[in-house]
Amino acid sequence: MSPALLAGAPAEAQEKKPATALHGAASHASSGKVTAVNPKGTPPPIQLIPMAPRLTSLDGKTVYLVDTGFHGSDVLLMQVQAWFGRNMPSVTTVFKRKAGPYMEDDPALWKEIKAKGNAVIMAVGH
Amino acid sequence: MVTKAFKDLALLNAAKRGMPHERICFTPHPVWGKTPDEVRAYVEGPDPVSGKPLMKEVVDGLTVPLSDEDKKSGTVSVSVGPPTYRDTLDNLQEFYLNNGYTDFLPIIVPTEEKVDAMLKGTSHKPDETVGKMAAGAYPAWSYNVRQVAANAVMAGCRPEYFPIVLAVASSGMASLFSSTNSFAFSMVVNGPIRDKLEFNYGIGVLGPFAQPNATIGRAWTILSKNLGNGGIPGDTYLGSLGNNLNYNNVVIPEHEDASPWVPLHVQKGFKKEDNVVSLFRGLGVVPGQVARGSSANENVQFDYQLSDLFGTFTGFFGALIIADPLVAARLKEQGYDTKEKLIDWLYKNTTQTVKDYKSRNYAYLFDYPRALRGDEPWASWYKMPDDAVIPHFPHASDFNIVVAGGQTNAYPQAGNLSYGVSVSIDKWA
Repeated sequence: MSPALLAGAPAEAQEKKPATALHGAASHASSGKVTAVNPKGTPPPIQLIPMAPRLTSLDGKTVYLVDTGFHGSDVLLMQVQAWFGRNMPSVTTVFKRKAGPYMEDDPALWKEIKAKGNAVIMAVGH
Repeated sequence: MVTKAFKDLALLNAAKRGMPHERICFTPHPVWGKTPDEVRAYVEGPDPVSGKPLMKEVVDGLTVPLSDEDKKSGTVSVSVGPPTYRDTLDNLQEFYLNNGYTDFLPIIVPTEEKVDAMLKGTSHKPDETVGKMAAGAYPAWSYNVRQVAANAVMAGCRPEYFPIVLAVASSGMASLFSSTNSFAFSMVVNGPIRDKLEFNYGIGVLGPFAQPNATIGRAWTILSKNLGNGGIPGDTYLGSLGNNLNYNNVVIPEHEDASPWVPLHVQKGFKKEDNVVSLFRGLGVVPGQVARGSSANENVQFDYQLSDLFGTFTGFFGALIIADPLVAARLKEQGYDTKEKLIDWLYKNTTQTVKDYKSRNYAYLFDYPRALRGDEPWASWYKMPDDAVIPHFPHASDFNIVVAGGQTNAYPQAGNLSYGVSVSIDKWA
């Protein structure tokens, strides 16, 4: 992923209409050029986070299904739970609705999952 | 698991938060409103992004070994381009527009000369940090006085307006928010600066009739795009319909001399002679003419009209009364000689049944999880019978009142808007 995309530059617009400024495509004589200030703020650097190790298999493992609270998340995860029951019955699934509205953290649940679970599936947006 | 409509958002946000290879799989959109059988078909069907069976994607996401890229740590810097650009004014106008730096209306190109002139509107140094801003649950961007000045120039502000723009920027509150709800924003300006800068707080106060009203409100949106990285559809902005109020953000200089009540900034703890900008966020503004009882020729009761309007609002956001001075005078005649008395009446008399409350979208999405956690008043409300009557807004402090307008007729407007913060303008002079 490019730094420009991460900075929020409108990639679509850039692809459709390459910027003329900075690339010498001025429509007037160079004497008509001015210097303008970049209006963008300063994005923070990105701290890469190593992903958690994967399981070799889900057999006999406990998978938490975490409902973010968006409408329909519970219905979806119930169906995911049913799918595991039909197709991978050795997997134990635990359904949990995250405490508080979707934008708030739930450290108690993360602690429980670390202690009792082997994997997490979180869902969903609308 | 994310629905397909939020693919770009999910992937970009994961990358910005340090996991560019986070394993995300997608369901068809939407999940909301679908039956269990319809959702079962989603689960047993393909991921609409990869085309592979959805549950195979899920299981693979948990079991396929990590690559070296997945295990990477360290820091990645993010570039937003050079500090300055050099080209003709026409080309720079196009460049700023095509790169999403504008609100897609023509701008004043922020040349070094114009930015330097803007900087003369404040005593603060150009490299002084002003604040941080995020347009949602994203890592916040930071900015200094010079970066804010470039945005103020672009919006058409005069240098003497700059302290207000700095005060708004210092709040860290973006006027473009990532939610699918298409939020609206508003700012109330109080203090002698309203006259000094020739704000319009009379006829057509909310319309396009004065430069400070027009450009300072516009600056909030332009700086929210550039300094807070907001307003990128599909990435940092998801409002399904968008909100036309985002062009200017409902700038309300209060008509303090024509008001029978203390101005808003005094209610918020400032002195009357202080210059203050107060920021609001919510869903929008509706005209008072649509309220029941608004056609009464005699014994006009604005308290009931306002309560009728607020009964259609979501109590998740607050209620902002924008009262023409004629409305305010009438309310005072009715006995509301302070804003607090009117607020107390509205809080107690704007009610709903528990059944109606629970049927509302925002109640399910935000209040129900709070109730489960035991937060009040929602926990008590969810324990009540369906026919119990409860306040429409959780707290009396959810109401705010400002007086503005030209007294050509006695009409209020009402915003489903929550008070956010009041910021000293004088601090940024």
